[in-house]
Amino acid sequence: MALRGSAIAPSPTNGGLSSPFQKWNNASANFLGIPLPNPNSTISTDPNSWKRRAFVPRGEMEKERANKDEEGKQPSVSITLDDVNPVGLGRKSRQIFDEVWRKFSELGQISRTRTDESLDQVLIRGPMCEFTVPGAQDTTVLVVGATSRIGRLVIRKLMLRGYKVKALVRRADQEVLDILPRSVEVVIGDVGEPSTLKAAVEGCNKIIYCATARSAITGDLNRVDNQGVYNISKAFQDYNHKLAQLRAGRSSKSKLVLAKFKTEESLQGWEVRQGTYFQDVIATKYDGGMDAKFEFTETGNAVFSGYVYTRGGYVELSKKLSLPLGSTLDRYDGLVLSVGGNGRSFILILEAGPAADTSQSKLYFARMTTKVGFCRVRVPFSSFRPVNPDDPPLDPFLVHTLTIRFEPRRQRPVEGTSRPTQDLRSFMLIFEYIKALPTGQETDFILVSCTGSGLEAGRREQVLKAKRAGEEALRRSGLGYTIVRPGPLREEPGGQRALIFDQGNRISQGISCADVADICVKSLHDSTARNKSFDVCYEYVAEQGNELYELVAHLPDKANNYLAPALSVLERNT
Amino acid sequence: MASRCTTFPPPFFTPSRQRSRQCEVSLSWTRSLSGAHESPLSSSHALHFTNRANYSQVKHRSRYMPSAIRCSAQTAAATNLGPGTPVRSTSILVVGATGTLGRQVVRRALDEGYDVRCLVRPRPAPADFLRDWGATVVNADLSKPETIPATLVGVHTVIDCATGRPEEPIRTVDWEGKIALIQCAKAMGIQKYVFYSIHNCDQHPEVPLMEIKHCTEKFLQDSGLTYIIIRLCGFMQGLIGQYAVPILEEKSVWGTDAPTRIAYMDTQDIARLTFIALRNEKINNKLMTFSGPRAWTTQEVITLCERLAGQDANVTTVPVSVLRLTRQLTRFFQWTNDVADRLAFSEVLSSDTVFSVPMGETYNQLGVDAKDIVTLEKYLQDYFTNILKKLKDLKAQSKQTDIFF
Repeated sequence: MALRGSAIAPSPTNGGLSSPFQKWNNASANFLGIPLPNPNSTISTDPNSWKRRAFVPRGEMEKERANKDEEGKQPSVSITLDDVNPVGLGRKSRQIFDEVWRKFSELGQISRTRTDESLDQVLIRGPMCEFTVPGAQDTTVLVVGATSRIGRLVIRKLMLRGYKVKALVRRADQEVLDILPRSVEVVIGDVGEPSTLKAAVEGCNKIIYCATARSAITGDLNRVDNQGVYNISKAFQDYNHKLAQLRAGRSSKSKLVLAKFKTEESLQGWEVRQGTYFQDVIATKYDGGMDAKFEFTETGNAVFSGYVYTRGGYVELSKKLSLPLGSTLDRYDGLVLSVGGNGRSFILILEAGPAADTSQSKLYFARMTTKVGFCRVRVPFSSFRPVNPDDPPLDPFLVHTLTIRFEPRRQRPVEGTSRPTQDLRSFMLIFEYIKALPTGQETDFILVSCTGSGLEAGRREQVLKAKRAGEEALRRSGLGYTIVRPGPLREEPGGQRALIFDQGNRISQGISCADVADICVKSLHDSTARNKSFDVCYEYVAEQGNELYELVAHLPDKANNYLAPALSVLERNT
Repeated sequence: MASRCTTFPPPFFTPSRQRSRQCEVSLSWTRSLSGAHESPLSSSHALHFTNRANYSQVKHRSRYMPSAIRCSAQTAAATNLGPGTPVRSTSILVVGATGTLGRQVVRRALDEGYDVRCLVRPRPAPADFLRDWGATVVNADLSKPETIPATLVGVHTVIDCATGRPEEPIRTVDWEGKIALIQCAKAMGIQKYVFYSIHNCDQHPEVPLMEIKHCTEKFLQDSGLTYIIIRLCGFMQGLIGQYAVPILEEKSVWGTDAPTRIAYMDTQDIARLTFIALRNEKINNKLMTFSGPRAWTTQEVITLCERLAGQDANVTTVPVSVLRLTRQLTRFFQWTNDVADRLAFSEVLSSDTVFSVPMGETYNQLGVDAKDIVTLEKYLQDYFTNILKKLKDLKAQSKQTDIFF
């Protein structure tokens, strides 16, 4: 049949041996102008005919079949030259016989199944497979650290679920290539070298970062665990921006600039105010009062500085936000401020309400601590609390005014400064920009960090410092993130023991690499995983005889998606 | 040739009439392989060769002899090492990885974090999907014992889901190959051997495949390996090709009127339960039976498919007696013996055997919830709702079927 099919639509590759026959066949078909019969449709379902055939040995049956076909065709009107062609008849009868025989012999079996290509498509790769994730085919995941213990398992799991996978490796040795499944796209690059990452993030939708420094040398740690995360997230954001520009729009993952303080004009609209929480007329006469100014210095910095010596006093810097046309803050998750200063903490206040009637506005506040020197601070909208406890939670859509307030209360002395006598009532804050972080349904970047338990005491501080710095870099990038901090890794099969998800550095147990990989892969499409950091380890099982509680645990199963319920109780933006 | 054609092949467990002759043959590789631990192999071993004269494989056997000697030398070296270098418990070898069950086992293993090596036969179109999932593929053939030992190096657990292809003689892979594999595994210190068998295989010695499975079970139990034997009933995946697809495509569906009931099970569930059992030390050296939640007759399955597909099937019902008769006839001729073997289950089908066991205790033992096991209704419903459109698209794309000359 295939031969015939190709004769009708001749393909250049099919020239070779059978071409004379094809030509003849072709000519006859054209000459008579009658469509070729489909042998599939001629399978006989007459119960008498197969019974008879079943008793006869194979060769005879074939002949008989052929004869019968011929007989059957004779009286029909639409007979063609092709129908009586002995080669065609023989082939057709063979095909029919095979089909009938296959079906017949299948009856005599219990659990043997033939493996059919088209069925494979459905049963192995398609939705009938328990691993298949809807939409996986359209998702490209970049795995950084593809040869690490977790990375290898992550790649396998992704491949099983039908994702497109890119693997970032430093060298493409044969040894490395052997570890990776064949259809993984291997990209050579180094997270420490931003220039090499452009190709890696191209075409990616999500990133799983499981690389870690192989040594405890500070340089290495900084390069891989801190700078590496920053470089990759930056490259990914750059790529997103580029894509967005091609569409002549904004990347949904890009941050929204609320204010940029590059020129003197950019300070317009910002208003310095002062006030007190309570009126103490007598005290005001004797204390030093307060003062603040917001100015653009000769060195090109926008500086908000001053002092508050009044008890219960505060100074604040406020502006009515003017968002670009078409954007509203409800598509954003929080604020990120790039500021420098002397390490005071400030209060961010958002006024929300109908823009036309400011008297109905409600106030929401969140505390923001800064470091000495420049830093970027992330303040998620979810951390804003209403000033009046009866008010509903903040709706970012309604926000119209942003205020940064300084008050001398609750200031902590800066650690490790050379001037311990610094007066905590004075402050300085240099603004670089204020941006809004985009929101989204799913996580874009999964970072496998560590809890630090299980490391030798000497290394721990260094490693943790680099890891935490990397986590911070990711949180500020604007990408949806998930930070997984597993306990000490064990190389054993996953899915055996119940897992504990926790926030707050309290975990003590180990966890298998396979479970960590599973969490990473499950997090990809889980909205509860977005913008969360969590520790994870095995459930603590007391030794025999020392149990304090009865163990109520069950094995993770295919049916139970353990991740969403576990993560939904954890706090966001951590 | 004449004698072969007329002899009615005796069942396996015939008293060993030709034993003296067979012993010479069995000297070849089996004895040398098991040399280090003589023990239990001999008892069940004789049955292997009782039928020898009836089959033309004596010729082949002699061909394997030289290489078999090489094979025994290797294993001797390995056994001399004593306990040997430790092997990671996550390294497993799946035999028969391209099969219906084997591929699900491979997937499950990979997903649970095992390092999976797949033993597949060298073939022109390599099983790329296994490599794509991240498994390592090694080429070997159970019917060529000399290819086996190299694949077992560094393996902790062997999972054996192999069975011969329908078109080849049943004994080559399922009996001789398995014996070789088990002996190799023993000689090379494999720490666990999982073997899939067929439910009720001890009750139907007249069916060659079932008898072979039963004998292999015995052989494995006597081999001294730590084993798990899992008896299976039927695969839901098989029903798709047999009934669901033809019904959707409005082709004729062939069924029997057999009263036999089979508790079909999803191979994905089988794979999942296997690994739970594998990690449970209490299940070592046990024989378990996995069966689906409910036993179905062929007619019931067809009715279910019709209901779910929303269209009537063009059913051709073949009486079991016809199947049996065909089998008896084909057994007369040596060259149709394979055909007879393929039809052998008709003997089982004609009895009203129920291929099902109560699973409650097994679930408890494994700590599995019964409601996580897929039922046939659910499985087929998933198939019909999910695949209906997709499959039609696929079929439309590729009309090309086999080429017949």
